[in-house]
Amino acid sequence: MRAVSGIVVRELIRFLRQRGRVLASLVRPFVWLIFAGAGFATVFTGAGEIDYRRYMAPGLLGMVVMFGSLLAALSTVTDRDAGVLRMVLVAPIRRSTVALGKTLSATLLGTTQAIAVGTILLSLVRLWPGCAGLLLAFAAIVLSSLALGALGLLLAASIHSLENFAGVMNFVVFPMLFLSGALYPVRRLGPALHALVYLNPLAYGVDLLKHALLAGWTGAGYGGEMPVALDVAALAAFAVAGLVAAARLLGREKGVTRAAFRERD
Amino acid sequence: MTAAAIEARGLGKDFGSIRALDHLDLEVREAEFFGFLGPNGAGKTTTVHLLATLLRPTRGTARVAGYDVVRDDLQTRRRIGLVFQETTLDRDLTVEENLRFAARLWNIPGRLAAPRIGELLGQFGLVERRRDLVRALSGGMRRALDIARGMLHEPRVLFLDEPTAGLDPRARRSLWELVQRLRAASGLTVFLTTHYVEEAEPCDRVAVLDCGRLAALGTPAELKRAAGVHSLEGVFLARTGHALAEPSAA
Repeated sequence: MRAVSGIVVRELIRFLRQRGRVLASLVRPFVWLIFAGAGFATVFTGAGEIDYRRYMAPGLLGMVVMFGSLLAALSTVTDRDAGVLRMVLVAPIRRSTVALGKTLSATLLGTTQAIAVGTILLSLVRLWPGCAGLLLAFAAIVLSSLALGALGLLLAASIHSLENFAGVMNFVVFPMLFLSGALYPVRRLGPALHALVYLNPLAYGVDLLKHALLAGWTGAGYGGEMPVALDVAALAAFAVAGLVAAARLLGREKGVTRAAFRERD
Repeated sequence: MTAAAIEARGLGKDFGSIRALDHLDLEVREAEFFGFLGPNGAGKTTTVHLLATLLRPTRGTARVAGYDVVRDDLQTRRRIGLVFQETTLDRDLTVEENLRFAARLWNIPGRLAAPRIGELLGQFGLVERRRDLVRALSGGMRRALDIARGMLHEPRVLFLDEPTAGLDPRARRSLWELVQRLRAASGLTVFLTTHYVEEAEPCDRVAVLDCGRLAALGTPAELKRAAGVHSLEGVFLARTGHALAEPSAA
């Protein structure tokens, strides 16, 4: 447990020292709220029933969680580049402990950023979900951060160069965002795209956030679209699967030492 | 006869079709300063990684500090310190934060870690730089910190894998003084890999490795006497048929 806390503390210190990253994570959702919100609001067919910016709020929080926890996974790639990962792997701890520490760091970073943004965002769009709604939103944020952090770690453990990771991230991030229901209800997508939604961890997170924050608009078709239990179960399953697979990959000797062997020849 | 700190029996490692380490039989005694001399690509780093449980052997067995490196990998890692060729410090953390991070990874409770870190900072001449980011340190100081971190959990065996690579002569000298002081103070076993003969000279015993095979083993004096030469460079040439500085025909 001390090792897990060590990994988490280190990630926190590093995050707080990267001012640009902190600032970007806090400002990004508001840029979306202002620019994307203004554009999409004009074509939003739910106008009259719900203000588009209010409709966007759960999706934006999901986006904060996604960027927060996936970018946290980036540290595993930079750790490999800088050699820090080797030091961690030579410590007398299991690979699963390393994976758990990294995932919990991502969870903590994703959650904190989402709460910071959420506090401002909900007052801006005048959304008051009540205590039960806030609690469910909190649970949704924590669960989504956990699931996305674990999947981010899995990506980082399987991709070995920073450039490659950045490329894959772009490829992953945008489809994930557009198929999450963050910007429009997914029920309006065609059957093929709708099927993809079920493979998207962010979709369950955003859906759970809609249950929490837009409960009053469920009848109008703008609240959660999947059962709460399914959202929770799917997020938990993504988290566990990501953690287990990432721990296995981290333990693969190729990741740490073979690269060193090749460098020397 | 003292107990063996490191014991390898028929140890070998292949990477695909490349035979990085062919067959190694070796015994390093407790508190010995052991040199592992060979050119780049001879299999030195592979050996260290095998002994440090970072690689699984393709064949053979090894015990370090009494533990089997495959079966008891965690126990082994608890008792060894490893300084890699390239620094593995977090450059965005301070000197002290790096040590605290390592203390947590090695499960050292805070009340024990704080005095131990203070002691190491003093021993390694880093007290005044304790709050500086690692990226602001010179190469020599980073190396010192790497070793300090390797010593944090008071290991029984310290592996130094080409520790002077990239250091200027002065930093090298102070590094060796440091290692000698550490050995004198703690009876530590030091396993050093190097391709510099002058670094192998002060070792108690030296193993000469070439193309993944042991070419010679003994005290520097014994090796020179047996080969009828005056330097370890000469020993290498006599035993392998080529000079240490030239890349070996792998």
